[in-house]
Amino acid sequence: MRAFTNINAKDFKDAASLLKQHENSMVIGGGSDSLGLVKEHLVSPDVLVNLKTIRGMDQITEKGNEVHIGGLITLDTLAHHPLINQRYKVLADAAGSVATPQIRNVGTLAGNLSQRPWCWYYRNGFPCFKNGGKQCFSITGENNFHAIFGGGPSFIVHPSDTAPALVALAAKFRIVGPGGERTVAAEDFFVLPKVNPAKENVLAKDEILAEVHLPAASKNARSLYHKELDREAWTHAVVSAALVLEMNGQSCKSAHVVLGGVAPIPWRVKKVEAMLAGQKIDEQVAGRAAEVALEGAQPLARNKYKIPLMKAILKRNLVALANA
Amino acid sequence: MSKISRRTFVEGAGVGIAATQLPLSGQKPGVAAALTPAAVPKTKIKFTVNGAEHEMEVEDRWTLVEVLRDHLNLTGTKIGCDRGECGACTVLLDGKSTYSCSQLAVWMEGRAIQTVEGLKKDGKLDPLQEAFIEHDGPQCGFCTSGQLMSAKALLLRNGKPTREDVRHGMAGNICRCGGYNHYSDAVLAAAERSNA
Amino acid sequence: MSLTPLKTVGHDTHRVDAEKRVTGEATYTADLKLPRMLYARVLRSPHPHAKITKVDTSKAEALPGVKAILTRENCDVTWASGDSRNKRYLFNNPARFAGDAVAAVAAVDRHTAEDAIRLIDVQYETLPFVLDPEEALKDSAIPIHPGGNLSPTPRGEHVPDVLKRGDVAKGFQEADHVFEGTFTSPHINNAQMEPRAAMATWEGDKLTVYTSTQGIANCRTDIAKDLNMPAEKVRVVCLFMGGGFGNKNQNHDFDLMAAMLAKKAGVPVRVEFTRKEDFISVHGRWPTKSYYKVGVKSDGTLTAIQHRGFSNMGPYRKGQGDIAGIENYKCPNIERTTSMVYTNMAVSANLRGPAYPQGVFAIESIMDDVAHALKMDPIEFRLKNMTRMQGDSREYTSYGLEDCVLKGAEAFDWKKRWHAAGEGAGTVKAGVGMGIGVFPSSIARSDAIVTLNAKGQYTLYVGVTDIGTAAKTTMGMIAAEELGVDLSKIDVMSGDTATCPYSVGESGSRTTTHTGLAVVEAVRALKKQIAERGLPQGNDELRAAVSTNPNLGALARNSFVAHFAQVEVDTITGHVRVTDFLGAHDSGRIVNPLTAESQVKGGVTMGLGMALHEELRYDKHTGLPVSAGYYHARIMTHMDVPNVRVLFVETEDQYGPFGAKTLGELTIIPTVAAVGNAVFNAIGKRVRDLPITRERILEALA
Repeated sequence: MRAFTNINAKDFKDAASLLKQHENSMVIGGGSDSLGLVKEHLVSPDVLVNLKTIRGMDQITEKGNEVHIGGLITLDTLAHHPLINQRYKVLADAAGSVATPQIRNVGTLAGNLSQRPWCWYYRNGFPCFKNGGKQCFSITGENNFHAIFGGGPSFIVHPSDTAPALVALAAKFRIVGPGGERTVAAEDFFVLPKVNPAKENVLAKDEILAEVHLPAASKNARSLYHKELDREAWTHAVVSAALVLEMNGQSCKSAHVVLGGVAPIPWRVKKVEAMLAGQKIDEQVAGRAAEVALEGAQPLARNKYKIPLMKAILKRNLVALANA
Repeated sequence: MSKISRRTFVEGAGVGIAATQLPLSGQKPGVAAALTPAAVPKTKIKFTVNGAEHEMEVEDRWTLVEVLRDHLNLTGTKIGCDRGECGACTVLLDGKSTYSCSQLAVWMEGRAIQTVEGLKKDGKLDPLQEAFIEHDGPQCGFCTSGQLMSAKALLLRNGKPTREDVRHGMAGNICRCGGYNHYSDAVLAAAERSNA
Repeated sequence: MSLTPLKTVGHDTHRVDAEKRVTGEATYTADLKLPRMLYARVLRSPHPHAKITKVDTSKAEALPGVKAILTRENCDVTWASGDSRNKRYLFNNPARFAGDAVAAVAAVDRHTAEDAIRLIDVQYETLPFVLDPEEALKDSAIPIHPGGNLSPTPRGEHVPDVLKRGDVAKGFQEADHVFEGTFTSPHINNAQMEPRAAMATWEGDKLTVYTSTQGIANCRTDIAKDLNMPAEKVRVVCLFMGGGFGNKNQNHDFDLMAAMLAKKAGVPVRVEFTRKEDFISVHGRWPTKSYYKVGVKSDGTLTAIQHRGFSNMGPYRKGQGDIAGIENYKCPNIERTTSMVYTNMAVSANLRGPAYPQGVFAIESIMDDVAHALKMDPIEFRLKNMTRMQGDSREYTSYGLEDCVLKGAEAFDWKKRWHAAGEGAGTVKAGVGMGIGVFPSSIARSDAIVTLNAKGQYTLYVGVTDIGTAAKTTMGMIAAEELGVDLSKIDVMSGDTATCPYSVGESGSRTTTHTGLAVVEAVRALKKQIAERGLPQGNDELRAAVSTNPNLGALARNSFVAHFAQVEVDTITGHVRVTDFLGAHDSGRIVNPLTAESQVKGGVTMGLGMALHEELRYDKHTGLPVSAGYYHARIMTHMDVPNVRVLFVETEDQYGPFGAKTLGELTIIPTVAAVGNAVFNAIGKRVRDLPITRERILEALA
């Protein structure tokens, strides 16, 4: 690797000010993804700001009605946490579906959320939007795994599993910068390429995702995350579905439906949420919802299989969750 | 045919030909040139490997796996891909399995690492090692150290795994020789022996 | 058939070096270090085809810690086994594929070496490139070598390779039905776990190369030839190596780079490739396109088989390029025309059964189509038409193909599971499929040395490196059986040309037979010495060194295989799950059932990956690979593998050591075909292009 200095941060404020202080710097959490970027020379930082030395920001605490999750919690801890499994299963499922045990043991929630894309053009250093260039090679290229919604001018899909889960849970993200803090709804954290094709989220260069806040889970809520993979383990989602249903007896009172693997951001389908509200979700209802969810999809030459695939996954999992 | 330098593109069919980083060519424009070895940032660290304490100065950019292999002469841990995509470099970090190629040595301050060399206890093979031999897990043997450490981590967490548990727990270790069936047999046998 | 049981051979035996491998004590090439050793990295072309107009190494040379740099300017070493038809240099100009080496740097540590290659300024003048063989054969395509892109025969003629028997035109006339199909297979990487490395050191004019190789003897003679040195001055050492599956045969450019850098720097040098380099800059299985036309009578008898094939060799003819399959069948009229074509893709050469799984996928698929159209059980069709004599003319030394098919089918419960294609209710459909294979089990020259000391300990010297096949153990067991002693009385020494005699190494599935026979002969020679001179006393040692040169005469010697797969296909998501798999193998007498079983499970695992996932994808516009590496290549994981069942059908064969025939490559040969046929049986639609991805299944079902 190109030489860099590792600086251990004391807390998030310290980390943010280090980022501001050092022009060519980046944060590093678990390290799994970021080190890979450095090794491939996709990024060439002079300074790595190490977040692992920050104490206490990996806990789950109840704060009033909310549940606060420290951004540095490992995916493994998150996946096995009893509270998360009881009340926010979609998040536990999502965290447990990431990569492999070795990666989940060190990978952080914040890291998973701010992960760079796994588009093979980006990862192979093609001079695309994500690499400081002015084009997207997937448009006329090998685009089997690229976006069918929200694409343009870049067509990556957001690689995170926890992202659609947290959007479905209406989570909020606490962001720490050198000047202060801000809280952003999960849904507003992710950025479409038409807004800024070089980035995937709203973090400024010197900002860090510090904490995730979950609203209180209703007693009648149930949720799941389904990830469709191309081998049985260790791939990013071909497509995925994060579903949260608030039930009223056998009917669905309200729903949050967020799709993964189909767009550059977690793709929330409000139309479908509206359709499902007050419905008893059976095969027919779920089937119609799936059709509506994929309306307006704009496939590229090699990814239109994602349309029937996403429909099938959404339909199956709506029925399964509603009737569990 | 047009004359191009490493850093410019040739437009054709609306798509640029990439003067790319693939595979390891050229530098991104604007990025400072390499530092001389003397100027490379270094840090003193203290950490434990297989119960033995080590104090050393490392370059900030050194990964844990290269420190283990090149500087502590513990070559049992292998580098298969150096990208966290194969599992050959799996070690235990404070009891949990992790890819040592994806950890910097500087992050090991105060941590305890266990490698395959630490499995033997008083000259006796670990039940996992014996089971691996018994059930013919290793073929070329290059993934074996990583498989052992993942299996060890799995059994530390769950002493009575099912076959599914084993497959899940070791999903992060590739074996191109395809020894998976035998590895699973071995881990289950080792678990049974330890519980007997 | 049950063979007469033996004492050692035929019994489950643990690997003699297993303990070293489970304790981390086994030393692979990159585990070895010599004092003052430098680390080397290679700079490669980012273009698929480009003239190199300038290489400026001045900035790299100026970086402290850099000790030697090689480019074409100061190194014109050629690598003979890198291309059998054209001159292939270590550093070629033009660069003919993305990943072609341009320079190599040795420095005090690998980070400095990596920094240094990025300081080398190269100017390229890009040339048009071509990735597809049929495109490459057009007049408009740029010739990658003088003479055009159809790679010539060994005699230099730019014509396709042709195999003929009878008259296919007549055969098609005689047919009641004619079937056609086109099948493709992609570039697949060996992806062995150990990335290549070589460490070279000079002592005066003597060179020692510690390298990851499948055959130390050939590696040594190749290095000597390429460096214009007498072979006695070259020593190759490989005590442990982490797989190759065919990409570590002969010698490699990294051996030569290490040697030349070490010569220049005056200290030992270790060259290490990254995983991406291993994927892109070494080689993989040749991509193929097969056009099949098959003529058959209404009762299912084959009358004609015509195969027109194209093999994508990349820009250097490192591999043969043939496409297997036609040898599976008995048919009076056949014609196989294969064009081996240069392109600017990664180089193609040996990967486990180089010509086979992709070729057998094609022929077993079309034959399966034929059986389906004639409403025949695929097993019936195979029994009617499969080969009974090699080329329909030469008798096999032993023949277990029918047993493999029948016994395998029985153990697999084929009759109960097989149904009409596509039949079955529900969205998740199960199906079964099978495929057959035939592979040469040759005999040829090999050497072995066995010694006996006064303490009663035998030492066996064989030129194997044990690439994961348990070759050391197999050789030891053969010696133990012939000697009539326990295996523990034999030390097996391997992996060093200084002490070990010639062996072709582990490639072409030849070790057990070639080297095994030599071991038997060596032991017999030793036993003769013992009979003549008595047991050794004191410091004396008896030594028998033997070089065999056996002959099959007019017979053909082959191993046989039948694979059976059961899959479940989710017709809505296109997801395929392999739920059961059985491999039935005739490899004569199995020397070590324990490790032989590992071989079968391993080959099958690789075959399943090839059937369902693996491919080196290229971006067509830029000619650059995009899916190199374990992640993008979707190599099989623990979770992907079913429980693979193994059935050994032992036949009696007098030509091998205790009747052993080859096994290693057979284990993948019909695997892909079996999966493809099982998918067809499940959904009633055939995917003819590998890998069988969900995309292709959904397209087929649409």
